[in-house]
Amino acid sequence: MIIQIILAFFGSIFPAILFNIDRKKILWAGLCGAIGWTVYLLVFYETGSAISASFVGAIAVGVYSESLARIIKTPAFGFLIPGIFPLVPGFTAYTTLRYIVENNLSEALNKGIETIAVGGSIAFGIMLSTAIFKFISKIKTKQLT
Amino acid sequence: MESGKVAEIATCAGEILLSNGAEAYRTEETIKKICNSYGLDGDCISTSTGIFISVITPDGEMVTSVKRIRQRRVDLYRIERINSFSRDLKDNPLSYEEAKKVLAEIYNAPNFSIGIRLMAACMTAFVYTLFFKGALADASVAVIISCGIYLMLEKTAKVGSFPFLEYYISGFIIGALSLFAQYLIPEINKDNVITGAIIVLLPGVALTNGIKDILYGDFVSGSAKFSEAILIIVAMGAGIATALSIVMKWM
Repeated sequence: MIIQIILAFFGSIFPAILFNIDRKKILWAGLCGAIGWTVYLLVFYETGSAISASFVGAIAVGVYSESLARIIKTPAFGFLIPGIFPLVPGFTAYTTLRYIVENNLSEALNKGIETIAVGGSIAFGIMLSTAIFKFISKIKTKQLT
Repeated sequence: MESGKVAEIATCAGEILLSNGAEAYRTEETIKKICNSYGLDGDCISTSTGIFISVITPDGEMVTSVKRIRQRRVDLYRIERINSFSRDLKDNPLSYEEAKKVLAEIYNAPNFSIGIRLMAACMTAFVYTLFFKGALADASVAVIISCGIYLMLEKTAKVGSFPFLEYYISGFIIGALSLFAQYLIPEINKDNVITGAIIVLLPGVALTNGIKDILYGDFVSGSAKFSEAILIIVAMGAGIATALSIVMKWM
């Protein structure tokens, strides 16, 4: 489990370098992936469902990057994008493809639905956390003026 | 300052933002901010393929500028620089020449060198092969494959952009090479190699920014990015499926 979290840390750092991130923020991006994957693992052990685990993991990544973006004044998606890399259902997506090639369509449907559900729950998790932060900042500016 | 010059600065900043993968709302907000800091009223519509700006002076004169964006890539550093540029402009409006100089400097800002990027692409494949419970041998094969793929994509990017053909061929090469490696060394598991190697190609930015665009109400830009991401995934999947089915016919 510790090894997985360390791998998730590096798995967020290297894609971030590919996206030409600011050099000072590389470690923060790595931490984002590590936190998201830790939350994923905790929920996964508790519920055994990859879909709800991805959902909560994506919320954690979203909350982390939005709050860090406000603290060090930088666009949030610099952390968001590397952070969701470990959560992306790459293996399930590939398994779907392999079942299609093997003409095993009922299994392919099974795995395909899982892939879409995991992908959708990541998207919805990010949406939820971003929308909440946007809502809070709107309320704050309304009160100030 | 003249409204034409303000429009030029705003267009230039918007172009850098959009061609480096910023969301539509960020582009629109930045352009409005730049116009406001010169005391003018500006309005902007940004889709994923172009920007339309119109700057309005207090006496009712209007300047409109349209910019088509053809090539898009992801560069978080430049987006950040433009972000702070527009924020600073509010407190001290630079002159036209100074602003142009800053924008040119951002445009030519340093990238990581090709060696470091290549290393990062290889390490991404390595880490994710291990992450999906592959063995060290699988990971080393994934490193070699993704190194070749990344170099190929860098070289073709100089010729021009052929998004879907590029990804179809990449997928095909990844699938074929992984099968070949498994054929040579039976201990290697092709599934782990393929999953590790395709991670570098995943359109993560297009997906997340598409979601954010839709969330902010920019449905045109959001659904365009979303469908771009899905087409890339489908092209890549079709490439891998082609390689797998050809080999399965043979064996």
